[in-house]
Amino acid sequence: MMNTYNMVKQEFIKKWINTLHMLDSSIEHPLNVTERKNAIRLSSDLAMAAARNGSTVWSRALISRSGNKTANKPMARRILKKARNRMKNRCNILRRNGNFTAKTGVRKRTDLLKSLVPGGELIDDKDYLIRETLDYIVYLRAQVDVMRTVAAVDLFTRNLTNDRRNK
Amino acid sequence: MSNRRSRQSSSAPRISDDQMIDLVTKLRQILPEIGQRRRSDKVSASKVLQETCNYIRNLNREVNNLSERLSQLLESVDEDSPEAAVIRSLLM
Repeated sequence: MMNTYNMVKQEFIKKWINTLHMLDSSIEHPLNVTERKNAIRLSSDLAMAAARNGSTVWSRALISRSGNKTANKPMARRILKKARNRMKNRCNILRRNGNFTAKTGVRKRTDLLKSLVPGGELIDDKDYLIRETLDYIVYLRAQVDVMRTVAAVDLFTRNLTNDRRNK
Repeated sequence: MSNRRSRQSSSAPRISDDQMIDLVTKLRQILPEIGQRRRSDKVSASKVLQETCNYIRNLNREVNNLSERLSQLLESVDEDSPEAAVIRSLLM
Protein backbone atom coordinates (compact mmCIF):
# COMPACT_ATOMS: atom_id res chain seq x y z
CA MET A 1 0.00 0.00 0.00
CA MET A 2 2.86 2.30 0.82
CA ASN A 3 4.45 1.92 -2.60
CA THR A 4 1.25 2.96 -4.32
CA TYR A 5 0.97 5.98 -2.09
CA ASN A 6 4.49 7.08 -2.93
CA MET A 7 3.69 6.70 -6.59
CA VAL A 8 0.63 8.88 -6.14
CA LYS A 9 2.72 11.57 -4.49
CA GLN A 10 5.33 11.43 -7.23
CA GLU A 11 2.68 11.70 -9.89
CA PHE A 12 1.18 14.64 -8.07
CA ILE A 13 4.54 16.43 -7.89
CA LYS A 14 5.15 15.91 -11.59
CA LYS A 15 1.77 17.32 -12.51
CA TRP A 16 2.06 20.17 -10.06
CA ILE A 17 5.25 21.37 -11.69
CA ASN A 18 3.40 21.43 -15.01
CA THR A 19 0.31 23.20 -13.74
CA LEU A 20 2.45 25.74 -11.89
CA HIS A 21 4.33 26.56 -15.09
CA MET A 22 1.12 26.61 -17.05
CA LEU A 23 -0.54 29.08 -14.73
CA ASP A 24 2.59 31.08 -14.22
CA SER A 25 2.97 31.81 -17.89
CA SER A 26 -0.62 32.87 -18.30
CA ILE A 27 -1.11 34.99 -15.22
CA GLU A 28 -0.28 38.65 -15.06
CA HIS A 29 2.49 39.42 -12.60
CA PRO A 30 2.95 40.86 -10.07
CA LEU A 31 0.44 39.03 -7.90
CA ASN A 32 -0.78 40.00 -4.49
CA VAL A 33 -0.80 37.40 -1.70
CA THR A 34 -4.41 36.40 -2.27
CA GLU A 35 -4.03 36.05 -6.02
CA ARG A 36 -0.96 33.95 -5.53
CA LYS A 37 -2.73 31.81 -2.97
CA ASN A 38 -5.58 31.20 -5.39
CA ALA A 39 -3.15 30.34 -8.14
CA ILE A 40 -1.34 27.90 -5.90
CA ARG A 41 -4.59 26.27 -4.82
CA LEU A 42 -5.82 26.07 -8.38
CA SER A 43 -2.59 24.58 -9.70
CA SER A 44 -2.58 22.10 -6.84
CA ASP A 45 -6.16 20.98 -7.46
CA LEU A 46 -5.60 20.64 -11.18
CA ALA A 47 -2.45 18.66 -10.48
CA MET A 48 -4.26 16.33 -8.09
CA ALA A 49 -6.97 15.67 -10.65
CA ALA A 50 -4.50 15.29 -13.51
CA ALA A 51 -2.46 12.83 -11.46
CA ARG A 52 -5.50 10.58 -11.39
CA ASN A 53 -5.50 10.65 -15.16
CA GLY A 54 -9.17 11.38 -15.67
CA SER A 55 -10.47 7.92 -14.92
CA THR A 56 -12.61 8.85 -11.97
CA VAL A 57 -15.67 11.04 -11.65
CA TRP A 58 -14.10 13.15 -8.92
CA SER A 59 -11.02 14.00 -10.94
CA ARG A 60 -12.99 15.04 -13.96
CA ALA A 61 -15.45 17.04 -11.88
CA LEU A 62 -12.57 18.79 -10.14
CA ILE A 63 -10.98 19.77 -13.44
CA SER A 64 -14.32 20.96 -14.69
CA ARG A 65 -14.95 22.96 -11.55
CA SER A 66 -11.46 24.46 -11.51
CA GLY A 67 -11.73 25.23 -15.17
CA ASN A 68 -14.17 28.03 -14.47
CA LYS A 69 -11.38 29.90 -12.80
CA THR A 70 -9.06 29.58 -15.75
CA ALA A 71 -11.25 30.85 -18.54
CA ASN A 72 -8.39 32.50 -20.35
CA LYS A 73 -5.85 29.74 -20.10
CA PRO A 74 -5.75 27.75 -23.34
CA MET A 75 -4.12 24.67 -21.91
CA ALA A 76 -6.59 24.47 -19.07
CA ARG A 77 -9.36 24.83 -21.58
CA ARG A 78 -8.04 21.82 -23.43
CA ILE A 79 -7.95 19.66 -20.30
CA LEU A 80 -11.38 20.94 -19.42
CA LYS A 81 -12.83 20.10 -22.80
CA LYS A 82 -11.56 16.52 -22.67
CA ALA A 83 -12.84 16.14 -19.12
CA ARG A 84 -16.26 17.52 -19.94
CA ASN A 85 -16.77 15.15 -22.84
CA ARG A 86 -15.72 12.13 -20.83
CA MET A 87 -17.92 13.19 -17.97
CA LYS A 88 -20.98 13.66 -20.12
CA ASN A 89 -20.84 10.03 -21.15
CA ARG A 90 -20.23 8.88 -17.63
CA CYS A 91 -23.17 10.83 -16.18
CA ASN A 92 -25.73 9.05 -18.32
CA ILE A 93 -24.51 5.66 -17.16
CA LEU A 94 -24.46 6.68 -13.53
CA ARG A 95 -27.96 8.07 -13.53
CA ARG A 96 -29.41 4.85 -14.88
CA ASN A 97 -28.22 2.89 -11.85
CA GLY A 98 -31.27 3.86 -9.88
CA ASN A 99 -31.58 5.40 -6.47
CA PHE A 100 -31.51 4.03 -2.99
CA THR A 101 -33.47 4.60 0.17
CA ALA A 102 -31.87 4.67 3.54
CA LYS A 103 -32.46 5.57 7.17
CA THR A 104 -32.52 9.28 7.85
CA GLY A 105 -29.07 9.55 9.46
CA VAL A 106 -27.36 7.63 6.73
CA ARG A 107 -29.25 9.42 3.99
CA LYS A 108 -28.42 12.84 5.34
CA ARG A 109 -24.77 12.02 5.71
CA THR A 110 -24.60 10.36 2.34
CA ASP A 111 -25.94 13.54 0.81
CA LEU A 112 -23.29 15.46 2.69
CA LEU A 113 -20.61 13.13 1.40
CA LYS A 114 -21.90 13.59 -2.12
CA SER A 115 -21.51 17.31 -1.75
CA LEU A 116 -17.94 16.96 -0.54
CA VAL A 117 -16.64 14.61 -3.20
CA PRO A 118 -16.33 16.44 -6.54
CA GLY A 119 -18.93 15.07 -8.90
CA GLY A 120 -20.53 13.15 -6.05
CA GLU A 121 -23.90 14.68 -6.74
CA LEU A 122 -23.89 12.83 -10.07
CA ILE A 123 -23.44 9.41 -8.49
CA ASP A 124 -26.53 7.53 -7.39
CA ASP A 125 -25.00 4.11 -6.95
CA LYS A 126 -23.76 3.76 -3.38
CA ASP A 127 -21.00 1.32 -4.21
CA TYR A 128 -19.67 3.70 -6.79
CA LEU A 129 -19.81 6.63 -4.39
CA ILE A 130 -17.84 4.74 -1.76
CA ARG A 131 -15.16 3.75 -4.25
CA GLU A 132 -14.85 7.28 -5.55
CA THR A 133 -14.64 8.60 -2.00
CA LEU A 134 -11.84 6.27 -1.00
CA ASP A 135 -9.94 7.14 -4.15
CA TYR A 136 -10.46 10.85 -3.66
CA ILE A 137 -9.24 10.67 -0.07
CA VAL A 138 -5.97 9.02 -1.08
CA TYR A 139 -5.22 11.76 -3.58
CA LEU A 140 -6.30 14.49 -1.19
CA ARG A 141 -3.88 13.09 1.40
CA ALA A 142 -1.08 13.07 -1.16
CA GLN A 143 -1.82 16.68 -2.04
CA VAL A 144 -1.63 17.71 1.61
CA ASP A 145 1.56 15.75 2.28
CA VAL A 146 3.41 17.21 -0.69
CA MET A 147 2.32 20.77 0.01
CA ARG A 148 3.31 20.39 3.65
CA THR A 149 6.75 19.20 2.60
CA VAL A 150 7.29 22.11 0.23
CA ALA A 151 6.21 24.59 2.88
CA ALA A 152 8.54 22.98 5.40
CA VAL A 153 11.52 22.94 3.06
CA ASP A 154 11.01 26.58 2.34
CA LEU A 155 11.08 27.41 6.04
CA PHE A 156 14.11 25.23 6.52
CA THR A 157 16.15 26.86 3.77
CA ARG A 158 15.04 30.25 4.95
CA ASN A 159 16.41 29.49 8.41
CA LEU A 160 19.62 28.19 6.92
CA THR A 161 20.08 31.35 4.90
CA ASN A 162 19.34 33.51 7.91
CA ASP A 163 21.85 31.62 10.00
CA ARG A 164 24.46 32.11 7.34
CA ARG A 165 23.72 35.79 7.19
CA ASN A 166 23.89 36.16 10.94
CA LYS A 167 27.25 34.44 11.31
CA MET B 1 -31.04 -2.28 -18.65
CA SER B 2 -34.34 -3.33 -17.13
CA ASN B 3 -32.55 -6.43 -15.82
CA ARG B 4 -30.09 -4.24 -14.01
CA ARG B 5 -32.86 -2.21 -12.52
CA SER B 6 -34.76 -5.21 -11.16
CA ARG B 7 -31.54 -6.60 -9.79
CA GLN B 8 -30.94 -3.33 -7.97
CA SER B 9 -34.36 -3.17 -6.38
CA SER B 10 -34.50 -6.82 -5.30
CA SER B 11 -31.23 -6.63 -3.33
CA ALA B 12 -31.81 -4.23 -0.46
CA PRO B 13 -31.08 -0.71 -1.58
CA ARG B 14 -29.57 0.38 1.70
CA ILE B 15 -25.87 -0.14 2.35
CA SER B 16 -25.52 -3.84 3.10
CA ASP B 17 -23.58 -5.13 6.08
CA ASP B 18 -20.92 -6.48 3.78
CA GLN B 19 -20.44 -3.15 2.11
CA MET B 20 -20.35 -1.48 5.49
CA ILE B 21 -17.70 -3.82 6.84
CA ASP B 22 -15.69 -3.40 3.68
CA LEU B 23 -15.94 0.37 3.88
CA VAL B 24 -15.03 0.43 7.55
CA THR B 25 -12.00 -1.78 6.96
CA LYS B 26 -10.73 0.45 4.21
CA LEU B 27 -11.46 3.62 6.10
CA ARG B 28 -9.77 2.30 9.23
CA GLN B 29 -6.55 2.24 7.31
CA ILE B 30 -7.04 5.80 6.31
CA LEU B 31 -8.97 7.65 8.97
CA PRO B 32 -7.07 8.45 12.15
CA GLU B 33 -9.97 8.48 14.64
CA ILE B 34 -11.90 5.37 13.71
CA GLY B 35 -8.75 3.27 13.83
CA GLN B 36 -8.24 4.05 17.48
CA ARG B 37 -11.75 3.24 18.51
CA ARG B 38 -12.69 -0.02 20.21
CA ARG B 39 -12.81 -2.75 17.59
CA SER B 40 -16.42 -3.37 16.89
CA ASP B 41 -18.13 -4.92 13.93
CA LYS B 42 -21.18 -2.84 14.48
CA VAL B 43 -19.91 0.58 13.59
CA SER B 44 -22.89 2.59 12.55
CA ALA B 45 -23.00 3.58 8.92
CA SER B 46 -23.97 7.03 9.99
CA LYS B 47 -20.89 7.42 12.17
CA VAL B 48 -18.55 6.21 9.48
CA LEU B 49 -20.03 8.57 6.95
CA GLN B 50 -19.78 11.45 9.38
CA GLU B 51 -16.13 10.74 10.11
CA THR B 52 -15.43 10.51 6.39
CA CYS B 53 -17.09 13.84 5.73
CA ASN B 54 -15.18 15.48 8.57
CA TYR B 55 -11.95 14.06 7.28
CA ILE B 56 -12.50 15.36 3.76
CA ARG B 57 -13.43 18.77 5.09
CA ASN B 58 -10.32 18.91 7.22
CA LEU B 59 -8.07 17.90 4.36
CA ASN B 60 -9.56 20.56 2.13
CA ARG B 61 -9.17 23.16 4.81
CA GLU B 62 -5.56 22.17 5.21
CA VAL B 63 -4.91 22.49 1.49
CA ASN B 64 -6.35 25.97 1.70
CA ASN B 65 -4.16 26.92 4.63
CA LEU B 66 -1.09 25.49 2.95
CA SER B 67 -1.84 27.45 -0.21
CA GLU B 68 -2.05 30.57 1.91
CA ARG B 69 1.15 29.76 3.71
CA LEU B 70 3.05 29.00 0.50
CA SER B 71 1.78 32.22 -0.97
CA GLN B 72 3.09 34.20 1.98
CA LEU B 73 6.39 32.38 1.95
CA LEU B 74 6.85 32.97 -1.75
CA GLU B 75 5.96 36.60 -1.42
CA SER B 76 9.14 37.31 0.40
CA VAL B 77 11.22 35.25 -1.95
CA ASP B 78 12.91 37.19 -4.58
CA GLU B 79 13.66 35.84 -7.99
CA ASP B 80 17.39 35.58 -7.56
CA SER B 81 17.58 34.61 -3.93
CA PRO B 82 19.07 31.31 -2.80
CA GLU B 83 15.65 30.26 -1.49
CA ALA B 84 14.21 30.61 -4.96
CA ALA B 85 17.04 28.50 -6.31
CA VAL B 86 16.40 25.76 -3.78
CA ILE B 87 12.68 25.75 -4.42
CA ARG B 88 13.33 25.63 -8.13
CA SER B 89 15.76 22.78 -7.78
CA LEU B 90 13.38 20.92 -5.50
CA LEU B 91 10.56 21.18 -7.97
CA MET B 92 12.76 20.36 -10.94
